[in-house]
Amino acid sequence: MNFELSEEQKMIQQSVERFVQENYDLTNRVKISSEDPGYSKEYWGSMADLGWLGLAFDEEDGGFGGNQIDTLVLMEQFGKGLVLEPFLANIVLGGGIIKRAASPAIKESIIPSLMEGKLQITLAYAEEQSRFDIEDVATAAREEDGGFIINGKKSMVLNAESADKIIVVTRTSGSQVDENGISLFIVDASSEGVERQNFPTVDGLRASEITFEDVKVSSEALVGEKDKGFKILQAVVNDAILALSAEAVGAMEVLYKDTVEYTQQREQFDHALSDFQVLQHRMVDMFMEYEQCKSLLFRATLETVEDPDLAQRTVHALKHLIGKSGIFVGESAVQLHGGMGVTEELRIGHFFKRLLVIDSQFGNADFHLDKFTNL
Amino acid sequence: MLYFAGLRSKKILIFTFIFTNFNTKNMHINLSSDDLAFRDDVRSFFEENKIKAGEDYFSWRLGWFEKAREKGGWDVPKWPEKFGGPGWTPTQHYIWEQETAKANIPFDLPFGLGMLAPILMNYGNEEQQKRFMPDIRDRKVNWCQGYSEPGAGSDLANLKTKAVLSEDGKHYIVNGSKIWTTLAHVADWIFCLTRTDDSGIKQQGITFLLFPMKQEGIEVKPIITLGGSHTVNTVHFTDVKVPVENMIGEEGKGWTYAKGLLEHERTGLAGLSKSLVELEQLKDNARSVQRGNGNLMDDSSYKSKVGELEIDLLATEFTELRSLASAAAGGEPGPESSILKLKGTEIKQRIAKLTVEASGIYSSAWGDKSAGPAFAKGGTAGYLNSRYFTIYGGASEVQKDIVAKKVLGLTKGSSK
Repeated sequence: MNFELSEEQKMIQQSVERFVQENYDLTNRVKISSEDPGYSKEYWGSMADLGWLGLAFDEEDGGFGGNQIDTLVLMEQFGKGLVLEPFLANIVLGGGIIKRAASPAIKESIIPSLMEGKLQITLAYAEEQSRFDIEDVATAAREEDGGFIINGKKSMVLNAESADKIIVVTRTSGSQVDENGISLFIVDASSEGVERQNFPTVDGLRASEITFEDVKVSSEALVGEKDKGFKILQAVVNDAILALSAEAVGAMEVLYKDTVEYTQQREQFDHALSDFQVLQHRMVDMFMEYEQCKSLLFRATLETVEDPDLAQRTVHALKHLIGKSGIFVGESAVQLHGGMGVTEELRIGHFFKRLLVIDSQFGNADFHLDKFTNL
Repeated sequence: MLYFAGLRSKKILIFTFIFTNFNTKNMHINLSSDDLAFRDDVRSFFEENKIKAGEDYFSWRLGWFEKAREKGGWDVPKWPEKFGGPGWTPTQHYIWEQETAKANIPFDLPFGLGMLAPILMNYGNEEQQKRFMPDIRDRKVNWCQGYSEPGAGSDLANLKTKAVLSEDGKHYIVNGSKIWTTLAHVADWIFCLTRTDDSGIKQQGITFLLFPMKQEGIEVKPIITLGGSHTVNTVHFTDVKVPVENMIGEEGKGWTYAKGLLEHERTGLAGLSKSLVELEQLKDNARSVQRGNGNLMDDSSYKSKVGELEIDLLATEFTELRSLASAAAGGEPGPESSILKLKGTEIKQRIAKLTVEASGIYSSAWGDKSAGPAFAKGGTAGYLNSRYFTIYGGASEVQKDIVAKKVLGLTKGSSK
């Protein structure tokens, strides 16, 4: 058993940590978030130059042949600065689908530009009625003249505003909630019939509602086999859960440490707040939740690397714990900071918002507890 | 059957609730025929005075309070009869709270009406009462509360804003800063705790002053809260002149005046009647979220959380009624108001959290022009701002210290 990172991974960890420290203070983050496109193209370029965008791609596709552990290393550090650059949408979601299922031609046309940071993509999976059920897909793709015509609406699509290409999850057969009959297509965002309604999210990122109206694609746009898209989607969603959980663990570390520091400085009733036992115990609870989340994150990530199918139950467990503990740590940090915690002025509020959003993505705590107990 | 009674001296008001009909989901409170008549009166008043289509909101609002006044002090329900209030029984107050939470009535702000007015009644001189109370009653002057400071949050008595008496003894010169001042940016006047003496213990030497906000030397800066809204501010005073006749009571006794009020404020912060209405709204919202052949209220874990919330609300509602009954028998609300604040604010936070959960993937959408069902828009902002409920008006940790010390008699509480 070995929980140590490799030398290479340690170096990357330090390099990301330094990047976040140097570039992601609150003022700068707020500024980047409020200006178009909602992230820094310069930073995205640096991430490409440093090789971070290629870590998780296979060597035969030009990547570094890394796995979910490498993504964990990146995302945990990103979580400490609430990094805005669209790593999840491009690399974990979009890139995850492409590397797993795309034809050599598509891989060749997408992966190198993704790694260079020159192409923006995303994955459109959720729908208005689907809530957290990824198999609930109403958006239809029907075959016509050797190609497909897509009709439907996708919800809360991350990074769609910037995306050049959108991977869209569609129904090609079966009932609306069948795992069979789901197909994935890669569509140009500028295609006729694709309409995006963009808006900000609670955590300062951006999302879109996308309407597909008689959008024509060729059969080459199909990623993976027709009707067999669910397994790919599920594997990518699991990767996204691992990545977001790593980010959440980074955010929780900042929250508990900031709180410990603040309560040692802030005086009320002629004592530092940290002198009060009731507050000490709350901070111990925050610390324990953080450590427990980190343990389960390692467990789920290592199990996924070894056998994704066997890891499914642990992934559910992880997302449940991250959702529940993330909100507990966030709420506690706010409570212990008092009034200042409820303002936009301190960074803890922003970290809390991010944890709240993470709980709402790819299934919340209740959803995964239900999945866990039924598996 | 179970009932309990609170007795009020002289009139022997019997404050009786009878739980009947254990077969239905909701408890019933049997009201006397007088109370039922009062309830109908309140309901028809609200119905008759609803805002009409196209009517100007602000003139409707002022007209509404005028008509409420003609009903016999309904514009100032909590004021004592002596000052023009309606002199209701606790049951009538309870009915009023219930009905106002459901009805569409004009907004009202608590600062002048519920916070300053009781202090003026108890500690202000006759001239001050005549000068300030009519405008408060007519909703003509907006007040804000200058209590908390950057270094005096939960430890309010630690306040440092200085008021120094001028050499001629005609006015105080005020210097310092206040924080979390709700609606300071729209307030005409402030009631403010200042320090006139720091030689004794910190609860002494605090002086209660009133002064206009729109004058030189006062700077108001917005604080944007997590929900993205501007309601609270920091307020800075630089050599603000306050005439001595604007001091309430005696110099140095301000803490005593403010403290009694804080207990009133805490009771008000529980907001239970509103939570009852919001709980029903929450259930409706959850029912509108389809899950398979049913809806979110069929989801066992969600349903359990709503159920647990409702149970706490049912209990807390009666804790409030017991507190009202004992107040009617004995006078001021006591430390039990801390229980209400603790439970009431926690309930409000849980309603807000469950709204976020009902919003599902849309809970992360931000702003009116985003996506998702109507209730989801603003739901997350509401939840984020709700975190403030367990902080303002005395943080929950401090409330528990108060209960430990004052109710349980535990002397080693952390806040002395």
